[in-house]
Amino acid sequence: MTVFKAFLKVLNKNKAIVIMYTVILIFFAGFNMKTNDNNTTFTASKPDILIVCEDEITGITKNLIEYISKNSNIKEIENDEEKRNDALFYRDVNYIVYIPNDFRKQFLNHQNPEIKIKSTKDYQASLANMMLERFLNVANTYLAFDLAEEEMLNAINETLEQEVNVEVTSKLDTDSLTKVSSYYNFTNYCILAGAIYIICLILSSFKKESVLKRTTISSMEYQKYNRILLLSNSLFAFAMWFFYVLLSYILFKESMWTLHGAFYILNSFVFSFFALTLAFFLGNIISDKNALNGIINVIALGSSFLCGAFVPLEWLPKTVLNIAHILPSYYFIKSNEVLKTVEVFDFASLKPIYLNMMILLLFALAFIIASMIITNKKRKLA
Amino acid sequence: MKMKIMNYHYKKEKGEKMKNCIEVKNLVKEYKEIRAIDDLTFEVKEGEILGLLGPNGSGKSTTINCILSLLKFSQGSIKIFGEKMDVNAYEIKRNIGVVFQDVSVFEELNVYDNIDYFCGLYIKDKQLRKTYIEDALHLVGLENYKKFYPKQLSGGLLRRLNIACGIAHKPKLIFLDEPTVAVDPQSRNNILDGIEKLRRFGATIVYTTHYMEEVEILCDRVIILDKGHIIASGTCDELKHLANIEEKVTVEGIELSQKTLSKIKEFKNIEEVNYEENILFITYKKGKNNLSELMDFLKEKKVTYNKIFSERPTLNDVFLELTGKELRD
Repeated sequence: MTVFKAFLKVLNKNKAIVIMYTVILIFFAGFNMKTNDNNTTFTASKPDILIVCEDEITGITKNLIEYISKNSNIKEIENDEEKRNDALFYRDVNYIVYIPNDFRKQFLNHQNPEIKIKSTKDYQASLANMMLERFLNVANTYLAFDLAEEEMLNAINETLEQEVNVEVTSKLDTDSLTKVSSYYNFTNYCILAGAIYIICLILSSFKKESVLKRTTISSMEYQKYNRILLLSNSLFAFAMWFFYVLLSYILFKESMWTLHGAFYILNSFVFSFFALTLAFFLGNIISDKNALNGIINVIALGSSFLCGAFVPLEWLPKTVLNIAHILPSYYFIKSNEVLKTVEVFDFASLKPIYLNMMILLLFALAFIIASMIITNKKRKLA
Repeated sequence: MKMKIMNYHYKKEKGEKMKNCIEVKNLVKEYKEIRAIDDLTFEVKEGEILGLLGPNGSGKSTTINCILSLLKFSQGSIKIFGEKMDVNAYEIKRNIGVVFQDVSVFEELNVYDNIDYFCGLYIKDKQLRKTYIEDALHLVGLENYKKFYPKQLSGGLLRRLNIACGIAHKPKLIFLDEPTVAVDPQSRNNILDGIEKLRRFGATIVYTTHYMEEVEILCDRVIILDKGHIIASGTCDELKHLANIEEKVTVEGIELSQKTLSKIKEFKNIEEVNYEENILFITYKKGKNNLSELMDFLKEKKVTYNKIFSERPTLNDVFLELTGKELRD
C-alpha cells in the first residue's frame, strides 16, 4: 500500500503533464479522424456525350441514339470539328459518337458498320464506352437471329431495359466500422506515447539510484516491490485505455454496442497491456527524464508511422510492411483492419485476430522477463 | 489501547555482555585488478558508535555497501545480528537503517510523505508508523516543515530529511555515510545532536566521515582505513597514542632571535620546531609540563607574544604518523 500510495502521489504531482498530454493526444486523434473521413457512399453519374449522326434517324440508329440519350447527358455543339475537340479538351463532353451515313442499312446487311468515337479517356468516357459496347453487343446478338427489323428493335429495347437487381447481402456498416477502425488505429500512438511518457516519468522517481538503493536495503521484498510498481502502473495504463474506450463510445455510439465494438475493445486492451510492459521495461532502463521525448518519438511515433496508425496499411509500400512485421503495433493495427471486414464471428474469421493478440501477449511476456532481468541486475551494483 | 513508543530501543542491562552487532571477516572486494578492500576483519558491538575514517577511495563506502549487500564481494563473510547477511535477508534488513551521502528522497513528496514512504517499507501498521514519523521529525527538528517539498528546503534541512527517512523505522543498526557533508554549522550541530540521541536510545551506529572532530565527539571506537586496509583501530585515545606525540604548542605574535630559537630547539622532549611569520610551532614527543616550561623560558628571556596554546594530537596526526600523508589528501 505504501508503494501504491506513493505512486498515486507522484502521479498526482505530475497530473498537469498527464492532462496536457492526454488533451494533445485527443486533439491529434480528432484531427486524424477528420482527415481520414473516407466517404464510401456513391451517387450515380452520367457521362456527357455528343452524338454526331450522319445517318437518317430511324430504325437501329434511332434506337442507339435513344439508348445513349437515356443513359447520359446529351450535349449539343456546333457542327465544327475544332469546336468538338475544344469541348473534349475542356471536358465539356466526355465522349463523342460518330454514327456514319448508312449505318442502319449497313447494320441490317450484316456489313458491321464502324462507329468512330473520341473520348477524354477518363472514367466517365469509360462509362460511355461500356454503354456503347453493350448496345452493339445486344444489337449484334439479335441481328444473328434474322428477325424482322421491327421485331429485332423491340427485342433489343427489351433486353437493354432489363436492369439487374444487385442485392447487397453484407450487413456490415462499412462506413462506420472504417471510422472505428481508424480511431483505434490511432490509439496505437496515443496509448504507446501516453504509457511510455507517464510510466517512465513516474518510474524515474522510483528508480532514482539513491531512492532505489534505500529501497533495496529495506525489508520489503524486492520482487514484491517491483510487482506493486507494475500493478500500480497497470492501473494508470488501464485507466488511460478505459478513457480511450469511453471516447470511442461517445464518438461512434451504435457501432461500439456490437460484437465488432467488443473486439475492438478487447484488441486495444491487449495492446494496452503490451504498452504497459514496454513502458515498464523502458522505465527500468531510462533514468533521464529529458530523454523521454526523444524515446517517444522513436518508439511511439516511429512504429505508428511504419505500422499504419496514421496511414491505412494498404497504402504502405511493401518494404515498409515487411519492416512493420517485427513491430507489435503492426499486429494491433492489422487486427483492427481485419475486424472491420469480419461478418460472421466464428473461430475461422477471428483466428487471425486471436493470433495477433497472442503475438502481442508474447511481446509483453518478453518485456516482463527483460524487466525482471534488469531489475535484478540493478539490485546489485557490481 | 494505544501505546506511544518514544524510546528507540532498550539499552542493555548493566553487566550484560555486549554482543557483536556486525562481524566482518576477511572481506575482500576486487574490481578487476584493483583491490578496493583487502582482507578486512572487524566487529561492531551492540550499542556502540563505530567511526570509519579514511581519505577518499580508502574503501569506507565500499565496505558499507558490501555489508548491506548492495555490492557483491569477492571473499570473506559478513554477519549481522549473528546471522549471515545477504541480499534476501529481509529479517535482518528490517532492523537496519541507512543514511546515504546522497540525499535519497522523492522530489514529488513532501517531508511527511517522504518519511512515511520510507518508514512504510518497514512498518505496515499505519498508527505505529504515524508515531514513528512524528518521533523522527522531532529527532531531526523538522516538525515545522512537514508540508514542505524537498525543493523548498535548504541543504541542511534536506540532509536532516535524509536522516529522518533512514531512521524513522527505529532500526537497531544504523549506517550513516558522511551525513554532514556540505551542511551549515547549525544543521550540522542538529544532526550530531540527533545522532547522540540515537546512541542514547541504544542504536548501534556505523559512521563514516571526513571530519575528525565529529569522530572524536561521537565515536566510541574508530577504524582508520587506507587503500582498503585497516591501518589502525581503537578508541580515540588509544589511537592518539599511535601518533607518537604528546602535545603541540603554538605561540602566535612572537618575535624570536636566532639565538633564542636555537635554545628552544635544545629543550628536551622536542620532536619538531617551526618558526614562520611570527608564529612558533613546537611538537613534543612526551612530557607533562612542556607548556609551563616554555612560558617560563620566554618570560625569562623577556620575549613577548599575543597568544599561546597547547593541543592534543588529532586523528589526522595519527594518520600522518601511520601513512605519511594527511587524511584529506
